[in-house]
Amino acid sequence: MKDLTIHAASYLGPEGFGNDETGLRAWPAPLKENLSRGELDGLHWSLLSASDPSRFLRMDLMCRIGFMATELLAVDFDALPEARRESLGVIVESFTGSLNTDIRFAQTPRPSIFAYTLPSTVIGEICIRHRLKGPVLSLIAPDTDGANALTEAAEWLRAGDAEMVLCLGIEAINVSTANSISLPKTLSPHGWHGAALLLGRPENLPREKLFIPGALGDVCRKLCSVPEHAC
Amino acid sequence: MNKIAIAGCGVVTAAGLGMEALQRAVFSNASALQRRELLIGKTSQSVVAGFVADEITAQLRGADAAHADSRAFLFAAAALREAVKNAATILDSVPATRRGFVLSTTKANIEALDKLVRQQPVSAVAQRQIQPAFLAADLAAVFDCRGPVQCVSAACISGLSALQQGAAFIQRGIADVVFVAGVDLISQFVLSGFNSLKSLDPEGCRPFDKSRIGLSLGEGAAAIILVKRELLAAPAILLSGCGTSNDANHLTGPSRDGSGLALAIQRALAQARIAPDNIGYVNAHGTGTPYNDAMESLALRSVFGDRVPPFSSSKGIFGHTLGMAGVLETALCVAAQQNNLLPGTPRLRERDPVAPDSLLVEPRAVANLNYILKINCGFGGTNAALVLQRELP
Repeated sequence: MKDLTIHAASYLGPEGFGNDETGLRAWPAPLKENLSRGELDGLHWSLLSASDPSRFLRMDLMCRIGFMATELLAVDFDALPEARRESLGVIVESFTGSLNTDIRFAQTPRPSIFAYTLPSTVIGEICIRHRLKGPVLSLIAPDTDGANALTEAAEWLRAGDAEMVLCLGIEAINVSTANSISLPKTLSPHGWHGAALLLGRPENLPREKLFIPGALGDVCRKLCSVPEHAC
Repeated sequence: MNKIAIAGCGVVTAAGLGMEALQRAVFSNASALQRRELLIGKTSQSVVAGFVADEITAQLRGADAAHADSRAFLFAAAALREAVKNAATILDSVPATRRGFVLSTTKANIEALDKLVRQQPVSAVAQRQIQPAFLAADLAAVFDCRGPVQCVSAACISGLSALQQGAAFIQRGIADVVFVAGVDLISQFVLSGFNSLKSLDPEGCRPFDKSRIGLSLGEGAAAIILVKRELLAAPAILLSGCGTSNDANHLTGPSRDGSGLALAIQRALAQARIAPDNIGYVNAHGTGTPYNDAMESLALRSVFGDRVPPFSSSKGIFGHTLGMAGVLETALCVAAQQNNLLPGTPRLRERDPVAPDSLLVEPRAVANLNYILKINCGFGGTNAALVLQRELP
């Protein structure tokens, strides 16, 4: 990926949350233990910001994690002209996908959560929030290192199908939900996390607005195999 | 860049087992939707949908006891077997490591999750295939595809997105052949969801009809074998362009102005390097919901102006098959292109004036059908478009 630049990276998981500038921050003490053992009911927007986006509370766990990872990038998508938002692609890769919400819906069908029984719904939420209209792809993959999403993003950028690509790796399973039925462990083996990378070609980007200075930290490397020169 | 050709198709739908059954339904403009009394939640309800016939399921179960309670596997494997057969000897020269596999589905073998929640018996295989990536891996193994394997789950554009990924494998040179399979089931889970959203038409869908009120679900599987163009000797049908987009507007409803879908169509046309005037037929998403069909009509006018090509919806034949829709409807377009016949819109009674005049009520023969546009849209504001090109002798 020598011709690509990673412009921002973020991560949230049992160990904490952060981006390439801030590094990994620990969760507040009262939540830390629950989140580290996969009890995710306390994962709320207020952990990141005082002002709740209106849609956040209605979202399922996968969307919340993807939404938070995107917000943690600290990229001002609104500053992009419309033409650039139309060429900003979004790729989501997950193994567990919407399984957490699938179980909840199978137990108690409610119209408000049906739309969240799709692993691609998080793309819709992010696109609505940031008015992104570029190409989209939603992959279910057994490996969760983000390699598939990164490969696809690189190909899109090389082919000119997108000028920038937001790549998300999301695993979203609440331990108590998984334990509520006799679900085979092989269906949710990866715990939970969310990671976001904004990839682009340097010549196509208004860097003064998008580039976040500072090398990518361990936060990003733990999810994606990021070559040193990409930073 | 490698060109991508279609070497074979296979389907299992409400119209029957195989492409011949599908073609008979398409060319006679017949609907295979049926009414059944089903338990949705705790209430018995009358549902009109595109169910795969019980006799077909029994036949497939009889031939594969190991997957007897994974209809998703049985249907997908049957569609793939037909597609492989139709691709004939082309596959013989391709080593397994050069065969890729892409699965498109929204819910894979979701029936097993329904059973787990209700504490009903369900086999380990059926449980495993709740997970789309495992279903993809199992199918790839059975069909000896040892090249790249991927699973796309992107609501109702999954099928077109999977074809796009399959084509990308070949264009990037990491596979010479890619098996693309789409599968989804009518299950308690899916019925409960669409029923709770009040999206189902109790009388069966009527796409682009003035009085349409909702969709009909469908189920089954479809498979398409994509190959590097050089592997085929005769003039072929090519997959020459794909495009996707997001409306950035609403989670469960389409944008009102059709601009997102128009963007996907423009991307597909640009990749195919053709002008809108080249398109001879559009197979619409056409679910029969008031908003979808109105939005598509606007998108078509936006791209084609006052020269919208003949277009129709095939959902009245086999229902809305969700994650397999793009693969199934592309297979239908291949049949249309091979037979120079434009499919009609079964179950349409009175055209909604919002739909362009070129809406096809009945099938129509044409002299040439060189380019077809296939479009799908889905939850989350996703849109996809694909261009098929028939090579001239």
